[in-house]
Amino acid sequence: MSITYLEAIREAQARALAEDDRVFIYGQDVGAFGGAFKATKNLAREFPGRVIDSPISEDAMLGLAVGAAIGGMRPIIEVQFADFSTVGFNQMVNQAGTHYWRTGMPCPITLRLPCGGTSGSGPFHSQSMEAIYAHYPGLVVMTPATVADAYHMLLDAVKIDDPVVFCEHKLLYYHLKGDLGSGDRLAVGKARIARVGRDLSIVTYGAMVHEATKAAEELAGEGIEAEVVDLRTVKPLDTDCIIASVARTGRLLCVGEAYPWGGVTAEVVARVAGEGFNFLDAPPMRLNAKDTPVPYHPDLWAVHRPSARSIADSARRLVQM
Amino acid sequence: MPQLGESIAEATVINLLVREGDTVLTGQDLMEVETNKATMNVASPCPGLVRELLVKLNESYPVGSILGHLESSADDANRLGLKGEAVSQVPVFEPGAASETAVDVAKDGSSRVEPTVPSLPVPAGAGGAGYMSPAMKARMLKYGLSASDLAGLPGSGAAGRVTIRDFEQFMARVEQQQTIPASTMRVAVADAMRRSWTRPIATVAMPVCFDPLLAHRKQCAVKPGPALYALRALAIALTEDTSPAGRLIGNRIIHPASIDVGFAVEVREGVLVPVIRKANETPISGLVGRYDELIRLAHQLRLPADATGGGIATVTNFGTFGLTWATPIPLPEQTIVLGMGAARRVPGWDEASGRFVPVMEANITLSFDHRVLDGGAAGRLLARVAQLLTSPEQL
Repeated sequence: MSITYLEAIREAQARALAEDDRVFIYGQDVGAFGGAFKATKNLAREFPGRVIDSPISEDAMLGLAVGAAIGGMRPIIEVQFADFSTVGFNQMVNQAGTHYWRTGMPCPITLRLPCGGTSGSGPFHSQSMEAIYAHYPGLVVMTPATVADAYHMLLDAVKIDDPVVFCEHKLLYYHLKGDLGSGDRLAVGKARIARVGRDLSIVTYGAMVHEATKAAEELAGEGIEAEVVDLRTVKPLDTDCIIASVARTGRLLCVGEAYPWGGVTAEVVARVAGEGFNFLDAPPMRLNAKDTPVPYHPDLWAVHRPSARSIADSARRLVQM
Repeated sequence: MPQLGESIAEATVINLLVREGDTVLTGQDLMEVETNKATMNVASPCPGLVRELLVKLNESYPVGSILGHLESSADDANRLGLKGEAVSQVPVFEPGAASETAVDVAKDGSSRVEPTVPSLPVPAGAGGAGYMSPAMKARMLKYGLSASDLAGLPGSGAAGRVTIRDFEQFMARVEQQQTIPASTMRVAVADAMRRSWTRPIATVAMPVCFDPLLAHRKQCAVKPGPALYALRALAIALTEDTSPAGRLIGNRIIHPASIDVGFAVEVREGVLVPVIRKANETPISGLVGRYDELIRLAHQLRLPADATGGGIATVTNFGTFGLTWATPIPLPEQTIVLGMGAARRVPGWDEASGRFVPVMEANITLSFDHRVLDGGAAGRLLARVAQLLTSPEQL
């Protein structure tokens, strides 16, 4: 059965609520309204009293979540846009992230962040927050790229005892369709080879997996075979999978939709340079959004973020080195 | 633009010697070009009509660019290895296959230069194995290869560097050929010579009259090998001044502690260099036995440890191969190597009698690390050795 990325997130929450009484959802308009993106549609009716509207305060939402988690519950917090999670940042990184290490008591929160750009969303509704959360110890940061991963990784997020930042990409909500998959699932923290190739490794995550795959198809027409690595979780980072891929291809292009300064792509490049130096046949390269706030105008937005076109251009330059 | 010489990548057109519409003959000069080494002419490869000239005066064109078109017969075009097309326009000196690339090159001057001479094995612009990526270095270490092993491999990467792909294709081609393992001795010599060649090596030479040496040798009960004379002469000369055998390490010259001189012995699949310790302290008569014994042991590949390594200079008698001249390479840990050529009977001018007389003469050579020695110092050492060789009783 083919469903959208957004429906997969809704279905995963329904299943989590059904399977575990300790799970509840808390967020702005998640109840009767069904969430800003309808990710909790009808859940308040199906699970009375367990899908709760919050005040418009991310600080209060996450403060409540920390208390509930310490008290034995498994809260799922929906922030309407990842950008606004900065208001509750202190609760997440200083309280939730450190709690187990301070007390030996876990703090199992799932923080759902609708991330990434869509056309015309501008500077406050387009940002990618995975890098700043990944910087802090004690947090797991997930960045699912497929419908099946959105479903199964959200269930994983609810089950594990660490606080999880679940970065769901808004561009994929309605456009990406797929089935939930069957058989063995990859464990949390394992990357996936989305496409096999011998000439370069494009390491990426989230919506950029699809841009990279499109670029790889374009490049294949020119005789360049790109391997696409989907990180799935940026923390923990599957260094082994990345380095194994670079060992096969000799070239690394790391792509991220987030801003270029520091961040996930920089971390990947640093690890490959440090631990996989002898596999590199060319300088490791990375491609990110531009180092400006995300522009509002659709034309500007389209060139602000990496695209299949700019990924293919970078790949061409890299294989010619 | 033809390949005008090794290492010439481009030339400037300074004079046009024909005009469009002119009829030209084979070998007729078409234009004068200037390289960083000399001024030369570009000549017509065959008879024909100059259709068009694509060059501007005082502009520089890379080797391989099209300078113009010549209308020729189909036979000539075929003979020159060009594709016989209906209208036979011969790009001047340009093999057809590379012409598109050449035009691109002419436009921006930055693309790679393709070979213009079909027999040239490596593209003129190829950088080869100069820069090696970490992956290349690791892979070569794994295979036990050095940069010299890849000298014949043009790279396809940026600035002509050899990429992993180039390397793998090269190794695949190697695997398809018949190979035999090189002996340990061969590999050891190759390694020593490659390390030695990282230095600027120069050679000086002079002829020496061998008559006194040969006369001396005839009187000896056990006849010393000619190289032993040279070895003694070098040992004595170095005792007088050890600095020519010094080694340059950073900004210091390391003087030899002891006059231990080696001599090259050809053995199966390589060369061994037994060393005579303190060769300055014993006259030649006392060294003959040791010298002959070391040659015998070298041939058996059983040199004792005390006769191996640690020499400060080496003597090699390439005259045993009938050679009169050579430029030996010093061992990597040594600064000089003294060479000795075959003696020949040549006419020598005798001042006393005012006529030519037959003399036995041989060349001696000194190859040296030019960082440590200059021609003058090397020449003075060699002259002293020559002087000693003509007074063998001092040896």
